[in-house]
This record gives sequence, C-alpha cells and structure tokens, in this order.
Amino acid sequence: MSLLNVLNWLQHTWWAVGIKQSDFVFPLIEGSHILSLSFSVGMVMILDMRLLRLSFRSQTVSSMMEQLMPWTVTGFGVMFLTGMLLFAAQAVKVYGNTFFRIKMILMVLAGLNALYYQLRYYPKMAEWEQARTPAGVRAIAVLSLVFWIGVIACGRTMAYEL
Amino acid sequence: MSHTLIDRFVQWCYYSKDYAFIRDSRFGVPAIQSLHLTGITLLLGTLLALNIRLLGLGFRRMTLPFLAEQLWPWNKAGMATTILSGIMVFLPDPTRYAHNGPFRLKMSLLCVALLYQFLVFRKVIRTETESRARWRNVALGASSLCLWFGVAWSGRAIAFFQ
Repeated sequence: MSLLNVLNWLQHTWWAVGIKQSDFVFPLIEGSHILSLSFSVGMVMILDMRLLRLSFRSQTVSSMMEQLMPWTVTGFGVMFLTGMLLFAAQAVKVYGNTFFRIKMILMVLAGLNALYYQLRYYPKMAEWEQARTPAGVRAIAVLSLVFWIGVIACGRTMAYEL
Repeated sequence: MSHTLIDRFVQWCYYSKDYAFIRDSRFGVPAIQSLHLTGITLLLGTLLALNIRLLGLGFRRMTLPFLAEQLWPWNKAGMATTILSGIMVFLPDPTRYAHNGPFRLKMSLLCVALLYQFLVFRKVIRTETESRARWRNVALGASSLCLWFGVAWSGRAIAFFQ
C-alpha cells in the first residue's frame, strides 16, 4: 500500500470525515492549534531571550528552564494532538502542500537544534550559566527563533493554498 | 461614528493605491498574516507567563513585579507587531472585514482589552501577589486571559463567517 493510499484511508475514517464536515469541531480544533502557540513557541521565545541575555539575566538558565518546561511541553502536546487531527481531516491535500512540507522540515530542524543543545550544552550548564553564554548557545537560541518563526509563517501560509 | 463615515473610510482604503500591492501580490497577505501570528505568539506567550504567576500556578521562584519588569517590554513589542500588521491586513481589503460580525466583536474586545491592560493590569503586575487576597488575583488574571483570548478567538472566527 502506498503512502497516498494510507493518507486516503486516513481522511476517510469516520472521525476524520466527522471533523472535516463539522461546522463547529474543525474551527475549534484549528483555533486551539493556533492559540496553543502562545504556550509552546511563546515559552520557547522566553527561554531564547534568556539564552541571548536579553531578559532574566539575574536568573540561572537551569532555573528558567525548569519553570518554563511544564508549560512548553503542555503547549507542544496540544499542538501535536490538534495538528494530527487537522492533518487527518485533509491528509491528501495537506501532504501535497509545499508550505506544509517546508513546515515539517523546519520542525525537524528545530527539534535537532534543541536536541543538540540538550546533548552538548545542558550537561555542562553549571560551567557556563553564571558567566558569559557560549557563542554556540547564542547561535542555538537565534536558530531556534528563526526555525519556529518559520514554522509559524509556513503554517499560516499553507492555508492559502488549501 | 455613523455607518456612512465607516463606509466612506472603507471605500477610501480600498481604492487607495498605497495598499493595493498587498492585496494584489501573491505572498503579500500571507506574509503579513505570518507577522501578525508571530506577534500574537509573543504577545500571548508573555501575557500567559504573567498570568500564570499572578494566579500562582507557576514561575513561583520569581516575584510578579520582577517577572513584569522582564516581560512587559516584550509584551508591548508583541502588541505593536500584532496591531501594526493587523492594520496592514485590514487596509487593503476593508470590505472583507468592516461588516463581518466576529471582526466587529474583535475590535470591541480589543478596545476593552487595551484599556484593561494599560489602566489596570499594568499596575497589578507591578505589585506583589501577596498584597492582595487570592480571589482578587484570580479575578484579575481571569479577566486578562478572557479579554485577550477573546480577542484572539474572535479573530480566528472572522475566517469562518464569510
């Protein structure tokens, strides 16, 4: 079975059809998807401000991360769940959308960027969080902002080609 | 303001050559809408962090006035980005919005939210949460969240009531 067949099956499941045809459920899921950006990317932006030393300089990075993380994770959880439902409702069309594809690539890049931070800089945080932020960490913060704003832009733009 | 005055303004906008390029270019509207959504993420993200602290649900290692001092400038930056890009969405295509129910609701709620933000909320977040009874903090935080997310949801609803 090809990928297109799977996507076709997906968007014809009873619940995907239900979401697509509902005047009320689809806007509700879409609105939740967009507005949980304030939890997910909004909190990522605050962490990036700290990493770039634009705000919260007197706070340690680890303390900021601990306080932001529960909200960030919740936000991304809601975005992922609602995003999957939105995808299922229009799977074939969305899969063919150029901006959807760029969005997925940017999300993978944002994920790899965060993973690299966790592996390379997070374990040694005690060494650098009190002093100057290493250039690598600052680069990661800038890339994080670029990737996530790119994800927002592609997510918004893909609606114009659906 | 009388309806004729609004209609004349709408007509003037529509026929003004200054904004037509946004409407006529392929990526003009998506680009400005993307900027609008990025501004919303910054505005609502920082607003959420402030309200989470006000409600006592998180960020408890920092005082509310400290959090306010760090986040207020970013909140204003997000607000400025959102409002300016919003005006740039409206001006080239006013006929689409001027008589749209959710858009009118959004503008009314926005006026109330802005008044609340600068007359009430700004002072609230500059005082310690302990200086007020808990129910007051909850009422002040809930009002802020309802107003701003009300603006955001009615904005999202514009597209669903064409």
